[in-house]
Amino acid sequence: MKRLEIDNIEVEVEPGTTLLEAARKINVNIPTLCYEEELSIFGGCRLCVVEVNGGELLKPACATEADDGMIVKTHSPRVREVRQTLFELIIASHDISCELNCLTCTRQSSCELRVVAEDIGISRMRLNPIYRGLEKDFSSHSIVREPNKCITCDRCIRKCEEIQGIGIFANSARGPETEVTTFQDKGMGNVECTNCGQCIISCPTGALHEVYHSEGVWDALYDENKHVVVQTAPAVRVAIAEPFGAEPGTVATGQLVSALKRLGFDGVFDTNFTADLTIMEEGTEVVKRVTENDNLPVLTSCSPGWIKFIEHFYPDYLKNLSTAKSPQQMFGALAKTYYAEQAGVDPEDIVVVSIMPCTAKKFESRRPEMNGDVDFVLTTREAGMMIKSAGINICDLPEENYDNLMGVSSGAGDIFAASGGVMEAALRSAYYLITGEELEDIDIKPVRGLTGLKKAEVPINEDLTLKVGVAHGLSNARKMMELIKEGEEFHFVEFMACPGGCIGGGGQPIRADMTSEDALQKRLEGVYSIDSSKKMRRSHENPMIQKLYDEFLGKPGSHKAHKLLHTEYTARGLN
Amino acid sequence: MVIEKKFLKGNPLKDISEYDFPGLRRALSLGQENVIQEISDSMLLGRGGAGFPTGTKWSLALEQAGDKKYFICNADEGEPGTFKDRFLLEERPLKVLEGLMIGAYAVGADEGFIYIRGEYDLPIKIFREILEDARDEGILGKNIFGSDFDFDLTLVRGAGAYVCGDETSLINSIEGKRGISRIKPPYPIQEGLFGNPTVVNNVESLACAAEIINKGAGEFVALGTDNSRGTKLVSLSGDINLPGVYEIEFGCGTLEEIINDLGGGVSYGNKPKFVIPGGLSTAALLPEELNCGYSYEDIEEAGSSLGSGAIIVVGESRDLVEILLKVSRFYMDETCGTCFPCREGNKQINFMLNQHKNKKFTRQEVEIIKDIGDAIAAAARCGLGQTSLSLIESIFDKFPEELIEEVRHSEKVRNR
Repeated sequence: MKRLEIDNIEVEVEPGTTLLEAARKINVNIPTLCYEEELSIFGGCRLCVVEVNGGELLKPACATEADDGMIVKTHSPRVREVRQTLFELIIASHDISCELNCLTCTRQSSCELRVVAEDIGISRMRLNPIYRGLEKDFSSHSIVREPNKCITCDRCIRKCEEIQGIGIFANSARGPETEVTTFQDKGMGNVECTNCGQCIISCPTGALHEVYHSEGVWDALYDENKHVVVQTAPAVRVAIAEPFGAEPGTVATGQLVSALKRLGFDGVFDTNFTADLTIMEEGTEVVKRVTENDNLPVLTSCSPGWIKFIEHFYPDYLKNLSTAKSPQQMFGALAKTYYAEQAGVDPEDIVVVSIMPCTAKKFESRRPEMNGDVDFVLTTREAGMMIKSAGINICDLPEENYDNLMGVSSGAGDIFAASGGVMEAALRSAYYLITGEELEDIDIKPVRGLTGLKKAEVPINEDLTLKVGVAHGLSNARKMMELIKEGEEFHFVEFMACPGGCIGGGGQPIRADMTSEDALQKRLEGVYSIDSSKKMRRSHENPMIQKLYDEFLGKPGSHKAHKLLHTEYTARGLN
Repeated sequence: MVIEKKFLKGNPLKDISEYDFPGLRRALSLGQENVIQEISDSMLLGRGGAGFPTGTKWSLALEQAGDKKYFICNADEGEPGTFKDRFLLEERPLKVLEGLMIGAYAVGADEGFIYIRGEYDLPIKIFREILEDARDEGILGKNIFGSDFDFDLTLVRGAGAYVCGDETSLINSIEGKRGISRIKPPYPIQEGLFGNPTVVNNVESLACAAEIINKGAGEFVALGTDNSRGTKLVSLSGDINLPGVYEIEFGCGTLEEIINDLGGGVSYGNKPKFVIPGGLSTAALLPEELNCGYSYEDIEEAGSSLGSGAIIVVGESRDLVEILLKVSRFYMDETCGTCFPCREGNKQINFMLNQHKNKKFTRQEVEIIKDIGDAIAAAARCGLGQTSLSLIESIFDKFPEELIEEVRHSEKVRNR
């Protein structure tokens, strides 16, 4: 153990503990900007500098290990003075202007710079920004980069490389011109970006944000000739109240429906309905392929970040992907056929809007093979902003129900929001599809939780034990693919691009006030509480799904189902 | 009257067939610990600018566990005003090679690099030939001079970044990465090139080491002052009549004497406006401060640093703002761009100076410049950043009348 003194308080820590961690242990908050708990140490912003043993040179608390006998001052007059100056320099490099300012910024209410300013106690701002004149990157369907706002803390670089295992970002140019960019400055749309949006979550300044679809949605809502329907993804309901001050994991399903009706949507539906449908289609496919030993393991296909990942990095395994479209796209396809027919609306007049925890869904909706079935994709954040700007506080609203036709769902649809959820939902129904009997112990715990790689064996009958795997976060996805490549046998493997699954999606509210793990844990609890409180917890029990098959699709895997609900993939390889 | 003391200087020594490497042979017979002891006894301080004791560095490196160690010669001489390493690389390259090999043997390294500044065409050409010849002659390779010491050396040409003179940036550069500093600790001695223990020494330090082993520590330690032993190669430049590289014994005279006796006096006006005693990263000294002795301790006491041994004389009729701008431009361009204080601070200072070509600075502007300077000095990630404002701040301190606006009467009243 190492014994030292921080701000006149004796503290004892394990060897290897940094001064930042040691200070947190005694509830001293040292401001940081380039530091993120789950990423490697960068030591660039220098805001965490502290006095050690009265030395002239201040030490970065994030990169300095505690040692015996150290006398550390985290907020001495000198440290506070230096921090103020450093912060002035950071703000000057952030390029606040008429064009780029706090009021129009995507991070207006979750700005980390503002939090840090408060932590430091900023009392002066004397430097003018030096305009860098860098061009915005609009090359991606999902993500926009505004390099003039970037302070080069490199968190996006490290997030993409260390957590997602991709590395589309790098520093380029020298010295004062140092910037973050993509390979050869090609733009995010022209490199191996999976559109997962985890970089947005890590960015402290709003230099990265989603491609906004909200203006298009407003226009559609205002257009009297359009019939605008909306679907809400499973992970949105446990996060949508956050921009209104609620804790992560607060379940606001009914309030969300209510808010969307007030916004003027003509039909408010649930992506959980098509999640149940996905289970019917994908489950049927899994059962068939397992029985026929056809290109096993079957890999799930609902996370569009994962899909782009496999298209780039493991194109040889595209044949293993389930051909089932994602729930978002199944909804889009049905909205313009089944719903149009039932509601008696011309499909040409229907505008389909999705609210997703995801930035990659924007790209997915623009894939040519999806025929433009989904017109606009809003992230949870954008939906929150729209609702706010309509004068609505979601927390104050009464609960309302989804419209019936595509608004009824089972608990299996709900748990799609969390890593392991698709797997659990599929197993609940696969068991029935194979054995004709219901699975009794419906909570399949080994596939739940935030462990990166999960494996389970589920006995189905005497002849068959299903071997399943679950990976979330693309580094883990890569690990899982390597296991498969090395010959480890699975029947069915679930992949989610984002850590934690959709609850940790790149389109979810950004918390400047808690670690991402805390937010994930709370949203996770919210998701499973919805499932466990439902009577109907298996997709195949959903009466509206049965009605859909009876009246429109025939049976799972039918020709019509294939035409509308299944898709193909593109071998992209490396650029 | 200051005169040169030739300890490192001598006749050109480039042809490998004319040199028998007596120092290296002696080192091989002394054994690793004894070599390091002798270097420690000589009290040699690193000549790159930071002045870390070479013997201590080597003995720490020897103690490091691991079968793979690297030894690097830092020949990325980039400190403005400094050209003494070039002199050694061009005139006495075999002494540099000998020192490098003695060091490598002493710490147990079997592979080395010499990282030469990209613009140094001639030294690069010379070393290319030397390395080829040394391999042919068996001076590099296995069982050198019949010993069990194996060593090979690779030449790396720098790509023009000043920051690569910082040892951790230099290591990144050799690895093919961006030339940016690394967080210390771990120090290169613990975890350097490709994660292995690595010693990085300056050219002049290695030439000194070679002569110390050749001539014995006694001769070296007898030269100089208590805290600055031996001789120093000084690069004299600027507004001076006889610029060049001079070798002087520490403590042999004052800065003023060096400038007049060796440098032939000031060339731009009658007296210096100020003198930069140790390269661009050191604080300026006024004419009345130049009667300080030439040693690490005396120059430190005068408020500056001996640095790399570059003495730059600035004549009395030079324009201060022009000088400030050039100095600031240099640091702005040469920051590696990683840590915020150095990157943004130097950029802001250059921006502010640029707006002031023909007028004086307000008190508030000077305060901002000083605040930025203090923040960089206290919080930058590497030596480049920490010292980047030393000269500029000192010029503002020493020439207030010339640079700073008079405080107006109304402000004086308000301040009461």
